[in-house]
Amino acid sequence: MSKGKKWLVPFGTLSEPRQLILLWISFALPLAVWAIVSYVPFVWHPLVKIDDPGGVSYFTRDALIERSTFKAENAKLAASGGHIATGTPANPVFLPAPHEVAVAFYKSFTTPPKRKGEKWLHESLWQSIQVIFWGFLWSSVFGVPIGILCGTFPFFSRITEPFVDFTRYMPAPAFGALAVAVLGIYDAPKIAIIFIGTFFQQVLVIANTTRKLDTSLVEAAQTLGANRRQLLFRVVVPGISVDLYNDMRILLGWAWTYLIVAEYIGASSGITFFINQQAKYRIYDNVFAAIIIIGIIGFTSDRILDWIGRQIFPWQKGVKKSLLRAILDRRRNSTQNTETANANA
Amino acid sequence: MQTLNLPSYLDQSPEVAARFSKLKSRPLILDVKHLNKTFHTHTTLNDISLQVFRREFMCVVGPSGCGKSTLIRIIAGLETTTSGEVLLEGTQVSAPGSDRGMVFQGYTLFPWLTVKKNVMFGLEIGGRSPVESESEARQWIDLVGLSKFENSYPHELSGGMKQRVAIARALANNPRILLMDEPFGALDAQTRCKMQSYLLEIWKRVDVTIMFVTHDLDEAIYLSDRILVLGTNPSRIMEVIEVPVPRPRSSSQFLSPEFLATKARLEELIHGPEEAEAMPLPKIRLTHAGDDVE
Repeated sequence: MSKGKKWLVPFGTLSEPRQLILLWISFALPLAVWAIVSYVPFVWHPLVKIDDPGGVSYFTRDALIERSTFKAENAKLAASGGHIATGTPANPVFLPAPHEVAVAFYKSFTTPPKRKGEKWLHESLWQSIQVIFWGFLWSSVFGVPIGILCGTFPFFSRITEPFVDFTRYMPAPAFGALAVAVLGIYDAPKIAIIFIGTFFQQVLVIANTTRKLDTSLVEAAQTLGANRRQLLFRVVVPGISVDLYNDMRILLGWAWTYLIVAEYIGASSGITFFINQQAKYRIYDNVFAAIIIIGIIGFTSDRILDWIGRQIFPWQKGVKKSLLRAILDRRRNSTQNTETANANA
Repeated sequence: MQTLNLPSYLDQSPEVAARFSKLKSRPLILDVKHLNKTFHTHTTLNDISLQVFRREFMCVVGPSGCGKSTLIRIIAGLETTTSGEVLLEGTQVSAPGSDRGMVFQGYTLFPWLTVKKNVMFGLEIGGRSPVESESEARQWIDLVGLSKFENSYPHELSGGMKQRVAIARALANNPRILLMDEPFGALDAQTRCKMQSYLLEIWKRVDVTIMFVTHDLDEAIYLSDRILVLGTNPSRIMEVIEVPVPRPRSSSQFLSPEFLATKARLEELIHGPEEAEAMPLPKIRLTHAGDDVE
C-alpha cells in the first residue's frame, strides 16, 4: 500500500483504500458532531426536561423549560423552602438525537398516515420523483438541442442566449402563481417550475460545454469532407457527450433543489407535504428522516449515473474494464466479425 | 566560424536534374496565385504564388510568424484569403473538402472512435457503405502498420501511432494533396526520425502530393523535392529551393555535401548573416572566478 506516502500532495492522487477511508470520514464527521451535540450534556442542551415538577405550578412532567427559568424557579423554591423541581438537560424538540432519527427512518415508512387522504412516505417520495423526472425530461428535450445549437452556431447563440440570460435571473418560484393559474393546482405547475428552474441554466451550461469542444476536431472533420449536418451529429454531439453527461448530472441536482419550492405551489404534495405535515405534528424525527432520504436518493442516483457514465464512454482514460463494458465490447466485435464475413463473401 | 568548402546548393547531379525536369513535366496539382492575407492591418501573407506538381513533396519553412501555417490552412480552406486564389487541378477552392487531406500538429483523432472507425470516418461520410469503408480502412491501417491496434481507442496509442492513424485517415479519402502542418512537431526526436522515414515510405506507395510545413530544416531537406522558404514582415516567398540530395533518402545523407550546402542556404535565408550579432550578450559573470568551465 501507499505506506510512507504523504496524504496531502497538491494535485496528487490518493490510493483507492485512502479514498474509501476519506469517503467514510466525510460522512462520519458530521454524524459525530451531531452525536456529540445530542448525547454529551452541556455541549449545547439549552433546555431542561422536567422529571418532577416540584413546587412550580406551571411545570409539567416531560415539559421542556429554558435552563435559566428552571434555575430561577428552583432558586425561588429553595429560598421559600418549597419542593425543588428536578430535570435532565435536553435539546430542543427540533434537534432529535441520531438514534431517534434512525428509528424514525424505519418508522416513517411503516407508520400509516395520520389522516385519511394523506400519503405514506413512500407514496410521497414516488410523487416527488415523478415531478422531478417529468420536469427534467421536458427541460432536457428542449434545453439540450438548443444548448448544442447555441454552442455550435454563433447565429443561434446570438438569437437565444441574451434572452435566456435575462430570464434565468428571474427566480423560478416567482412563476408559481402564474403556473397555477395556467396549469391548475396538481402536478403540472410543479413540473413547470422545475422546467423553468432547469431549462434556462441548461441552455447556457450546454452551450458553454459545446463551445469548449476542441476546434481542431471540427477542422479535421471538415478536411475529411464533413458537411454541417455531419459535423453536428458525428463530431459535436459525440465530442461533447462525456461533458454533456456530467453537466446533466449537475443539472439534475439543481432540479432537486427546485423540488421543495415547486411542491409548495398549488396543492402541496410529495415529500414537501410529508415534511410539513410531520413538522406540524412536531414529529421532527420524521422531518430529519425525510430530509436525509432526499440526500440518499440524490447521492445514490448520482453515483449510479457516474457508474453508468463510465460504462458508456469507453474511450475515456482510466476506465476500468467492467462487466457491462465487456458485454458491449463482445457485441461490437461480433458485429465486426459478421461484417468481415460479409465483406469476404 | 570555420567555413566548409561546400558545393553550391544549386549544383545538381545529372540524376537529380533529370528528376526535377520530370517532376516539372507532370500535371499541376496546386496552383496558388497572388495570395494576400491581411489580418486587421497586419499583412500575414504578401503576394504568394506557387505551383506544386503531381506527386511532389514540398516542404514549407520559415521563421516563426512567417505565415507558413496560415498558407497551408488557406489551401485547406480553413482560413479565408483577402485576395488571390487557390486552384486545385484547375478548380478554385475556398472551403474545406475531402480533396485536400490534412494532418495537424495536435492530435486530432476522434477520441470516441476506435482506430478503424477513425479511418472509416471520411469514407462513411462520403457515402461509402460500412462494409466497403471497413475493408478500405483496413488497407490503410495496414499501410501505416497498425493492424494490431485497429480496435484500440486513441488514448491507448503513443503520439507517433496517433499521427500514423491521422495520416491513414487523411489518405483513406484519396485526397489530391496531403497538407501537413508540423505533424511531427509534438513528437520526441527519435520518434520523429522514424516517422519521417515512415512518411517517405508511405508517399512512395501512394499517388499523393504532399505539402509539409515544418520549422526543422533537416526534416525539410530529408523529405522534400522542393522547399518553399518564407520570410517575415511581410510574409513573402524568399526562394523555392530544389533539394539536390538524391533519392532514395537515408539518414546517412545528413552529412553529404549536397545536404549541408542546402542547409547552409536555408540557414542563411531564414536567420540571415546578421542574426548572430543581433543579440549581443552583456559581459556579466555570475559564477565564481574559480569554477571556470571554459
